[in-house]
Amino acid sequence: MNRGLLLRAFRESWPATLVIGLVLMGVETLLAFVLPMFSAQLTQEWLQIDLVRGIVQAMLGTEIAGRIGPQMFQSIPWVHPVVLALLWAHAAISCTRVPAGEVDRGTIDVLLSLPVSRWELFLSETTVWLFSAAVVLLAGLAGNLLGSLALPAAQRPEVGRLLIVLSNLFCLYAAVGGFAWLVSSLSERRGRAMTTVFLVLLALFLLNYLAPFWQPLEKVVFLNPLHYHRPIGILASGAWPWRDLGILLGAGASMWLGAGVVFAIRDLRTV
Amino acid sequence: MSLIQLENLTRHYGARRGVERISLSVAEGVLFGFLGPNGAGKTTTIRVMLGFLRPGGGAARIFGLDCWRESKAIKRDLGYLPGDLHLPSWMNGLAALSIYGAVRRRDLIQPGRQLAERFDLDLRVKVRDMSRGMRQKLGLILALAHSPRLLVLDEPTNSLDPLIQQSLHEYLRHLAAKGHTVFFSSHSLGEVEQLCERVAIVRDGELVADESLAALREKAGYEVSIRWAEPSLALGLAPPEFLKLTRREGAVWQGTLQGPAHRLVDYLAGKAVLELTIGRPDLESLFRRFYQREKGGAR
Repeated sequence: MNRGLLLRAFRESWPATLVIGLVLMGVETLLAFVLPMFSAQLTQEWLQIDLVRGIVQAMLGTEIAGRIGPQMFQSIPWVHPVVLALLWAHAAISCTRVPAGEVDRGTIDVLLSLPVSRWELFLSETTVWLFSAAVVLLAGLAGNLLGSLALPAAQRPEVGRLLIVLSNLFCLYAAVGGFAWLVSSLSERRGRAMTTVFLVLLALFLLNYLAPFWQPLEKVVFLNPLHYHRPIGILASGAWPWRDLGILLGAGASMWLGAGVVFAIRDLRTV
Repeated sequence: MSLIQLENLTRHYGARRGVERISLSVAEGVLFGFLGPNGAGKTTTIRVMLGFLRPGGGAARIFGLDCWRESKAIKRDLGYLPGDLHLPSWMNGLAALSIYGAVRRRDLIQPGRQLAERFDLDLRVKVRDMSRGMRQKLGLILALAHSPRLLVLDEPTNSLDPLIQQSLHEYLRHLAAKGHTVFFSSHSLGEVEQLCERVAIVRDGELVADESLAALREKAGYEVSIRWAEPSLALGLAPPEFLKLTRREGAVWQGTLQGPAHRLVDYLAGKAVLELTIGRPDLESLFRRFYQREKGGAR
């Protein structure tokens, strides 16, 4: 691995990682603290409304009848739209930097006039991306644990189980990142690449919410990466969701590999 | 030995032509001018040489290595300044030298400082606070700091003030004298004329000349102006075949002399000539005439 490329990638990506990591930490702290505090009110009032119940079920990816309890409220901070939006924003920002971002701002010319192959550049960027993803997710975990500190012991999630949820979320993040790499490799404009990523993610997000209300969508819900991220089951059983992890990682790795191949053989024009 | 070897290099952008069957060879230790108007195909050729674009046909080799497949190895000993230089805005000169030095696994800070002194650049200023000329200087320093065997400079003097241009020209001559090769792309004819020994001219994606400047001048001939004593002489006489007239007005003939000057002197001997001027054409008029001949035939 080329140290100079790693240094450059790190210097380019740390501001976004720091900001998103801190915001995620704050959001997780808030959700982990607030949701259990109002669990009784939420259960007795809000979850009696069909629409709200449907939305919570869509968010958690499972039927909640008989599962309303501390684990349901511990799960919500890991599937909350704000949390997912922050993670996806980080993935879209990090994974569209090379090549779309570098081509767009014209810096790819100087970068690739250095004695490095495109694969070396791609691997260095990927390494820094994965490292920064781990930092962001760990910031989220730290926030969650911090928020839970104020709760009674019975309402706090087990750290071991949270780590499994975090691994699942990391795989979801990797799948989204793999897609963002692929879009970036096919683009010459970073703005266009990020818009494409966000629009597709928004469509998948809506699919997740609409599927319970419209039967035909149930048939394509397997295409949605959110379908493979169900923390409520993990927090309840403590079991590793190997199938979900495998599907998410497989999809992410395939798209990432495709992105690398495209980047290695594509023309780099000035735009 | 040829450092750069392009053979029938062709590259199209969809239906649009980039370059078409360009063949040229650049020897080691040469200041090579790559000349042509904007959009002629200079940058496309350079981007193929740098491995940014895959050739559509033909071959491009530098140091005997294939420009597409062995691009990394080529760039160990190549310095490049793009025509439209962009650097990350957060960088300053020292950070750029440190990071690019780490990529090249060489210390570039010391040679970079020396070059910054030569080009009068403060390396502590961030790119976002630099003027266009300062950024261009930093780009030059990054291209030169590792003392590459081959320098590819695409319009390098854009935005540089005349003193720095002069300093750059001196430095490039010094490098060439030490055996380094400079591939100097420009649309500024005067600059190439001042600096380069050999010139290739590209127009509409095709190579229309690849010769030494001296040979090109010979080919283009001499600018000639003759003022006859009487307008009737100018009108009555037929010009010799080695003198191509471009203007015939009153008592004045203007044109281009092909071949040695003594033939014209012999022709004019004993004739009533008031004034005779034989000049050497500058590259600009040579360049213009060259295209006229290529595109529409000589006048």
